[in-house]
Amino acid sequence: MSDRWTDRLSEYLDGELGERERAELAAHLNACVECAATLSGLRRVVTRAQALEDRPPSTDLWPGIAGRIGLATDEFTVRRRTRERRFSFTVPQLIAASIVLVAASAGTAWLALRGPRSDTAVRPTQVAPAPQLATWMPKVEKSSDIAVFELRSALADGKRTGRLDSLTVASLEHSLAVIDSAIAQATRALESDPGSAYLNHHLADTYRRKFDFLRQANRIASART
Amino acid sequence: MGLGVLTLTTDKTTAATDAETADVALAQSGDGRAFERLYRGQVSRIHSLVRRMLDSDEADDVTQDVFVRAWEKLYTFRGESAFGTWLHRLAVNVVLGRRKALGTERGRRSADDSPLETVAARNQVPEHTVDFEEALGRLPDGSRQVFLLHDVEGYRHEEIAKLLGIVAGTSKSQLHHARMALRKHLDR
Repeated sequence: MSDRWTDRLSEYLDGELGERERAELAAHLNACVECAATLSGLRRVVTRAQALEDRPPSTDLWPGIAGRIGLATDEFTVRRRTRERRFSFTVPQLIAASIVLVAASAGTAWLALRGPRSDTAVRPTQVAPAPQLATWMPKVEKSSDIAVFELRSALADGKRTGRLDSLTVASLEHSLAVIDSAIAQATRALESDPGSAYLNHHLADTYRRKFDFLRQANRIASART
Repeated sequence: MGLGVLTLTTDKTTAATDAETADVALAQSGDGRAFERLYRGQVSRIHSLVRRMLDSDEADDVTQDVFVRAWEKLYTFRGESAFGTWLHRLAVNVVLGRRKALGTERGRRSADDSPLETVAARNQVPEHTVDFEEALGRLPDGSRQVFLLHDVEGYRHEEIAKLLGIVAGTSKSQLHHARMALRKHLDR
């Protein structure tokens, strides 16, 4: 089975024919059962291709990668990886964890603002110049705002329906405020020393932890409302 | 589940996506743990891409090459696209470089679709159970690359032509041949 249109069916399917050719081929498809069937088959192939699922490698490739780029895969890393697969938190645990984060973040930002700094502590290998804040900060700030809005909505709902007690809501709100305060301090420090790899690293790390906190808090607040 | 206890698993929220952005910034400053998180978030996609474009037995090595290269080139990432998109492009370049280095045009596949006949004959099972990925892997190299880049990975013909050093018309032709061969495979 082949006619002058057969080899154009993929282009037709992908919308890559000109208007005139497209119209001619559409008319041909109405008359040619074989071409119509072929087109249907091609469409199934594309659908199947787009439904292919990604699969992880059968073995963990990270130790090999870490070795090649000079990172240690120490015991702590292995233990941490195992722990990261699943988490269970109670609300008091979450609050306690956030307070630790907040204290650490605020303390580190305070040190960054006032004390001597060392870039080497956060650079296992020298791979790149310090990232410029402007390249990632606006995007992260925007989604942070969205996540905070979602959390506050969930907390308000929980409080209104009585399914979250006032103390829990107040604790989470307080934790969030202190995290934001730590971020604000680090941002100010970075504005006065924009080339600091340490401060860039610290701010990115605080944001990452904030996202972790928001994700967990949103889960808990939503589950309880 | 006790009072207030919740089992948390990874989800694709906005916050999670931008935790990745923060991890990129951390990794750019040399934080290996942040880079490991990025690796774990992307490895399935990258390994699948590599496995489909090359022989399966090379997939692990080349996937490692991709992440080593990503670590080395991370300072060039400016956040103009998603990190996953940037990494994916880098992976395609690593794969194509590997193919070139190995001289992959080893004549193991001809331009017709007879390799797909081999798949069916070997499996001796109803068509719906014949593995689509295996059939894909038996396409001629040129049309397989084009098919994967276009129909699986979403590249345009102009981009594929540039990557593979061919003209867009050849890319379209190769794609059609690949689809026709796979169509016959699915029709069995």
